[in-house]
Amino acid sequence: MSDQDPREIFRTEARDLLEEIEQGLLDLVEGTDDRELVNAVFRGLHTLKGSGAMFGFDALAAFTHHCETAFDRVRKGEVRATPDLITAVLNARDHMRALVEDGAVGREAEGEELLADLHRVLALADGPAAADAADPTTWRIGFSLPANAMVNGINPLALLAELRSLGACEVVASTDAVPMLGELVPTECHLAWTVVLHTAEPRAAIEEVFIFVMDEMNLEIEAIDGVEIVAAEEAEAKVDETALGGQASPGQEGRQAQAEARKGGESVRVPAERLDELMDRVGELVIAQSRLKQLASASTDTALRSVSEEVERLAGELRDTMMVVRMVPISTLFGRFRRLTHDLSRDTGKAIELSTRGEATELDKTIIERLADPLIHLIRNAADHGLETPEQRLAAGKPIEGQLTLSAVHSGAEVVITLSDDGRGIDRAKVRAKAEESGLLAPGAAITDAELLQMIFQPGFSTASAITSLSGRGVGMDVVKRTIEGLRGTIDITSTPGQGSHMSLRIPLTLAIIDGLLVRVGEGRYVIPLAAVEECVELSPEQDARSTGRSMISLRDEFVPFLRLRELFSTNLPSEPHQKLVVVSTGEERVGLVVDQIIGDHQTVIKALSKLHADVETFSGATILGDGGVALILDVAHLVAAGQQLEKRLAAAS
Amino acid sequence: MNQPDANLNAEDLVEVLTFDLRRETFALEAGLVREILDLTAETEVPGAGAFVGAVINFRGKVIPVADLSFAFGLGQREATRDSRIVVVELDLDGDPTLIGLRADKVHEVATLSMAATEAAPRVGMRWRQDYVRCVGRRGGEPLIIPDLACIFAHRGEPGASAAHIHSLH
Amino acid sequence: MTASILTVDDSASMRQAIKVALRSGGFAVEEAVNGAEGLTKAASGQFNLIITDLNMPVMDGLTMIRELRARGSAVGVPILFLTTESDDGIKQQCRAAGATGWVTKPFEPDQLVRIVKKVLGQ
Repeated sequence: MSDQDPREIFRTEARDLLEEIEQGLLDLVEGTDDRELVNAVFRGLHTLKGSGAMFGFDALAAFTHHCETAFDRVRKGEVRATPDLITAVLNARDHMRALVEDGAVGREAEGEELLADLHRVLALADGPAAADAADPTTWRIGFSLPANAMVNGINPLALLAELRSLGACEVVASTDAVPMLGELVPTECHLAWTVVLHTAEPRAAIEEVFIFVMDEMNLEIEAIDGVEIVAAEEAEAKVDETALGGQASPGQEGRQAQAEARKGGESVRVPAERLDELMDRVGELVIAQSRLKQLASASTDTALRSVSEEVERLAGELRDTMMVVRMVPISTLFGRFRRLTHDLSRDTGKAIELSTRGEATELDKTIIERLADPLIHLIRNAADHGLETPEQRLAAGKPIEGQLTLSAVHSGAEVVITLSDDGRGIDRAKVRAKAEESGLLAPGAAITDAELLQMIFQPGFSTASAITSLSGRGVGMDVVKRTIEGLRGTIDITSTPGQGSHMSLRIPLTLAIIDGLLVRVGEGRYVIPLAAVEECVELSPEQDARSTGRSMISLRDEFVPFLRLRELFSTNLPSEPHQKLVVVSTGEERVGLVVDQIIGDHQTVIKALSKLHADVETFSGATILGDGGVALILDVAHLVAAGQQLEKRLAAAS
Repeated sequence: MNQPDANLNAEDLVEVLTFDLRRETFALEAGLVREILDLTAETEVPGAGAFVGAVINFRGKVIPVADLSFAFGLGQREATRDSRIVVVELDLDGDPTLIGLRADKVHEVATLSMAATEAAPRVGMRWRQDYVRCVGRRGGEPLIIPDLACIFAHRGEPGASAAHIHSLH
Repeated sequence: MTASILTVDDSASMRQAIKVALRSGGFAVEEAVNGAEGLTKAASGQFNLIITDLNMPVMDGLTMIRELRARGSAVGVPILFLTTESDDGIKQQCRAAGATGWVTKPFEPDQLVRIVKKVLGQ
């Protein structure tokens, strides 16, 4: 599919414009009374309106037109950019977005309401801003046109009229070049003009008048000092004076806005699906290269082996490049949260400040998209439950503004994203009570603090006494956890009562390709993500015998719970003599996996399992091996949890 | 009564692929079929259950292999030279999914006249009624048109009754 | 008297867009689908302004502009052509052929009206 629907092209550009408009408005709210910002927002609205009309988004264009008019008044300094006005425009922006994405059907009432609101706020904010007005200047403009100008449709009277629209003018025509009557060709233009113009408009506005004839005429524009202009009738030529209100030149600005919107020619737009396709191809290439490597290593043909190595190197580089291509800075995500915080602050009546760190940290594009909802929920939660009201904060000796800090940093092969708040911290008693009430915890059972906090992620758990519209939208903490785990990541909480809470998400850097340890259990081959592997030790037959029926194995000085994968997978095959113990961990918890053989390292292109296997939690995916066979990828988090369960059960039973 | 539902095109004639599982013959819409494979290296999925106990590599994708004979309680299979895997593309919860269906023997693509089919009988069926869309005839023998959507929605669970009251033969 | 404008473009949607914009600006609009038809219609001498696209079948815009001026079918009538921003060479060519000015695509309706009014001295 090479041609894109023009409406889709517009949608893509519109999204960017709306994003910029929003960011600009948010910056304005934060008190930066910047003329540049106001101009930028105005330009964004202007371009959106124009292009919208162009591509048939009529409702959008009409609606945006009103916002643009309102904002134009801010731009001109007629109206101050009050917080209420900004909020009204922000709401309008959301409506615009809805018009772009979902269409105009059924939105008329909403639009009307927003505009009414906008106008109301506008009336309140009316009053000149302390903006600097442009200084009026006096210009001398001398120009003459080529002889064929009028034949070619250029009307000198139109030019003069346009100059008059810029300000008071004194026009003098020169007939010096006009030939004698006998030689005069009536359609030729031999007049020249000198115009003295007094205007607050910039020089560019004057040049704009002559834009169509600029190349072929003589034109001089000169600023002169303090000459009083009396707007006089044109003496020589009969001029049809049409009174024009003082207008700025929106045409010029429109062009400028378009030029600005189109700059950034260093990048190329690529539809996201193309990137995904490319990624798939690279994945298949890696698989094919793996097979080639196998064939080559079994062959004595040195030329083949050398080419195979070369292909391996190239495939690796291509893969690395693809990884980078799909990487996007997390600032795109963090940017959205500024708006969220602004709205939350307004809705909860709490002053909230969001600070971000590590915005340049890059993540795979798809990961970022999937992180959006969980992070939004966590932020809402922190704003809703974590942060206290201004009164409470004052009473506690804290600054009125609640602090939310979002940070992202690379750590090895992972990205660690943290959200901290300086609120009231998690109430352990409440959590405990709810956990016992939901049957997740036996009353009075001993449990570590970390485990207690993890209860929050259990399905059905919510300490909110009222489900506020903010947090309770069916996106519970358990869904957050599941989403993170779906990204093969982990989520942790720490919290200090009275001081705040700290959520930490660890996500592996890439979704599609990981390094794995290939092992054999019975007749099947399996892959263990290398990042999770702590160590591999040999399991001697004696040790094996000693551990039969037990669930813990002694590793140096420690006991590690372990799982015999052969049993777990019900292979029903006799024991092998040289089993191995692969100790894997999720960072805090460990489990040992007993396998029949460790085959080796394997670079793995992860293939998703179909929905039919979605309930088999032991495996998080599959991969295709060099010989074309399939190896299932073990879900370490699940196995570790299984190991912990086993340990608990045996501990409870003994 | 099971009606031949509107999923099949409204016209009377449908192209179907016919294949055997044990002693029964089944038909499915030829339009669903992507490829017919010889038996190839399979990878068992521990814990997956008998209906979709394995996966295979199909053109670089890892796809499940489903055994309809489990859904219909037809007993154990024995791989023979004629065994095949019929790769179809089905809509699972809104997502187009590639699935390999086991077949003991694949026959021809035939043209089936929907008008000539009957609804599955209410009594005398060994299997879940909702798994059978309708029944036709092929060479005098019954030809079962399974309701794949229903079977997969239930993950091939064979259902309580396996009592032989009648067979269709 | 209402000014009358001739729009020459092979794209129906473009003609429509221009017609709607100009009508809202108070102009009367007539249409032609290529340069040849544009030539014929312009010869009637009734138009105050002509707007033309450049890429058209049968006869393209540049040729039409040249012919109009050469035949004297549109003396003193402003001719605007539609172009994209980066087409500097085209702009020069068209101007040399006798065009008065240009409108850059994409344009918004009131931008178009403004340019038309500018050129007509309104």
